[in-house]
Amino acid sequence: MGEERRVSDQGGRTVKQLRSAIEAAAYQREWFRTTRQRLSDGEPFALANADTPHEIFLAMDIPVVMTQWWSAIIAAKRLSSEYFNLMNEKGYQRNLCRYCSLPLACAMDPHPEHAPWGGLPRPTVLLARLTCDAQTKIFERLAREYHATFFPLEFSAPTSSYPRWWEKIKDHWDEVIEPHRLDLMVEELKALIRFLEVTTGKTFSHTKFIEVMELVNQQEEYFRKTRDLIAETVPCPVSLPDQIASTMNPQWHRGTQWGLNQAKMFYEEVKERVDKGEAVCKNEKIRLMWIGPGLWHNTAFYQHFEEKYGAVFVCSIYLSLAADGYARNYVYNPLRALASRHVTITEFIYHRDWLVKEAILHKVRGAVMIVAKSCIRPVGGGVGNMFTIRAFEAAGIPVLPIYSDVVDAREWKDEEIKFQVSKFIEERLSS
Amino acid sequence: MGPLETMKKHYQHRDLSAREWKAKGGRVVGYLSEDVPEEMILAAGFFPFRISGDPWGGTEEADKYTEPFYNPAVRSIFNMLLAGKYDFLDFIVIPHSSDAILKLYYHLRDVQKINPLLKLPELYLFDLLHTRFWMTGLYIRDRVRELKEKLEEWSGKEISKESLSQAIAIGNENKMLLKKVTALRAAEPSRLSGVETLQIIGASMFMLKETHNRLLRQFLGEGDLPARDGVRLFVEGSDLDHLQFYELVESFKATIVAEDHSWGNRYLDDPVDPSVDPLEAIAERYHLKSPSPRMHSIDRRIRYCVRSAVEAKAQGAIFFFLEWDSAPAWDYPDQKKALEEKGIPTLCFDMQKYLLSSSDEDQLKPKVEKFVETIRTRSTAG
Repeated sequence: MGEERRVSDQGGRTVKQLRSAIEAAAYQREWFRTTRQRLSDGEPFALANADTPHEIFLAMDIPVVMTQWWSAIIAAKRLSSEYFNLMNEKGYQRNLCRYCSLPLACAMDPHPEHAPWGGLPRPTVLLARLTCDAQTKIFERLAREYHATFFPLEFSAPTSSYPRWWEKIKDHWDEVIEPHRLDLMVEELKALIRFLEVTTGKTFSHTKFIEVMELVNQQEEYFRKTRDLIAETVPCPVSLPDQIASTMNPQWHRGTQWGLNQAKMFYEEVKERVDKGEAVCKNEKIRLMWIGPGLWHNTAFYQHFEEKYGAVFVCSIYLSLAADGYARNYVYNPLRALASRHVTITEFIYHRDWLVKEAILHKVRGAVMIVAKSCIRPVGGGVGNMFTIRAFEAAGIPVLPIYSDVVDAREWKDEEIKFQVSKFIEERLSS
Repeated sequence: MGPLETMKKHYQHRDLSAREWKAKGGRVVGYLSEDVPEEMILAAGFFPFRISGDPWGGTEEADKYTEPFYNPAVRSIFNMLLAGKYDFLDFIVIPHSSDAILKLYYHLRDVQKINPLLKLPELYLFDLLHTRFWMTGLYIRDRVRELKEKLEEWSGKEISKESLSQAIAIGNENKMLLKKVTALRAAEPSRLSGVETLQIIGASMFMLKETHNRLLRQFLGEGDLPARDGVRLFVEGSDLDHLQFYELVESFKATIVAEDHSWGNRYLDDPVDPSVDPLEAIAERYHLKSPSPRMHSIDRRIRYCVRSAVEAKAQGAIFFFLEWDSAPAWDYPDQKKALEEKGIPTLCFDMQKYLLSSSDEDQLKPKVEKFVETIRTRSTAG
């Protein structure tokens, strides 16, 4: 079993123990390198936000990078402060969105080669769902920086609160989601496909698309089994940084054979650790949940509380959503099934009852929620966290909100936040 | 009391007309922002009432459910609804205008689940989307039809084409008369202050339109107004539903001759086309009207800002952004550059409080004074 050590933003160390996590990181770097080579021949390349269906691009053999993925990489390479300072110097105020705007800040740098892994290849098409006030603004400016075309997808507002969506979404998604939201997204996806066909000269392959959808279902099934295994195993067999790396890297490549193989490897590694009784922290006393996006600029934070308190972060939205939110039975209409995956993704990932369900499933005693004041999206986002805290506390699970940012290291006060979490553990979670 | 004083009174006491209407047995539909077709509410026989915040009203109730980093004007509305300040409303239509406003809908729905005893009017979400594409127009047309059905359900009667056309005519006349009012402000020399104009426009959303039209006609027929001298300024940024910032600026021998927000000039742009099917015309007007900060695209936002400032012959522009209102703030660098290329200098206040304290005002005043003085000096020298 390999091990990779990397110094984190503020002096901690992230310890990757899983081969699937280490291999995934290496694959990402290699994917960027080969993609850049491929694009030098004039191939199209897409930059899209994570709410959009990248399966469309896979079915057309167009490489795609998600902005949140790119944000996480930039933050992990400790470049976010530099880029955000640059954006602020250009007149953009400091309180604006950070997570989704980091790729824009990076694109404003006159030295793109300084970006991680030699920089993002220049996209030829940009795709975003307008899920918040900032998305239009960010992507229009990205289009300007890259001289690329921006294809916006509308964000229809949910009218349902999707009670217990996770029980029906795989097989009965058409009963869970409002038809008018699905109708709009299907029409928009058809328009997107035609637009891509016209502008790239490539053809959308229906058989490839079916294959992609099938691979996604198989991949997510492995994630479901892995999530269940981690949730039921005490002490926790896998650290949160390993979980996130082994989930999100394949998720960015979901619908590929590599993504499926990685998900399978992740499951098998976790199973092996469970069978051998291996644990992140043998002295596990308190299981914690992390609510919100990953702390990309300081993943070592997650393991800081293990030695002193036996407090282990055992779950986050990433593996849980992969387990519950992606798979779709698509027999009669795969494009509509794809729309159903993405039209509600924001609503599902911050669904309070689902988060509580996951907390209970993982036997957590408390949760730490990162609240980014700059994230103003109507579903999820910073505003509204008090409702989430209420839902958790109604289930007997205390929540500590910490106010910072997942990619902007300038907002992170390491000692202060560690003190807050320590106090939370000592005063509210230690019996 | 003259027409201007009457409109000012209704701007100050915003619920006056609606409560009178209610006392006579009428019903009131509250709505947020400029994105709800008030013509349809009127045609259904309701009093359309635009809901606003109150910077002096506190946030005690809202604090129970939301943190301070939430658009403060919308947070104030949230507080007022929870505190029963809008107890005269029978129904509320909330549009998908911005993150903060959409969030208000979800917050109110969530609070009702937590506290079933809380009495709130029935809520309705009007999902107005944000691009100018034809497909979005079709979606909005469907939502407009659904809104019509909801209003018919609330009123218990069908909304006829005739009643819709009549409501459109009343609304269009209101916008036309308000255009004449804003032309007085934009005239050289200006005949109205920004403070007065904001009250006249705002009163339109708190009174029955026909009554407001009558007052406007009276006001416009009163003859010449005294000329104002002073530096001509344009205001860009957040929606401002009260007068504090305008009063501060105009205390320095300046006139706000135009603005880009929905409580000012942007409200009276774009009449509904009376020559086509009224429902189709309403759907198209609310889809394609002047661009709010949330709308696609930035080029339209910049063009609108610059055109408005230039047409009003503004000598300077002040950006005023409320804290946690990020959509207009994203446009700032491009708008500033475009205005300055037209020779219009700019001043920016970001992350501003909804209610400016004395110390906030003390910080703003010297900057405004210096800005106005610089423009005046340059103008005199030129």
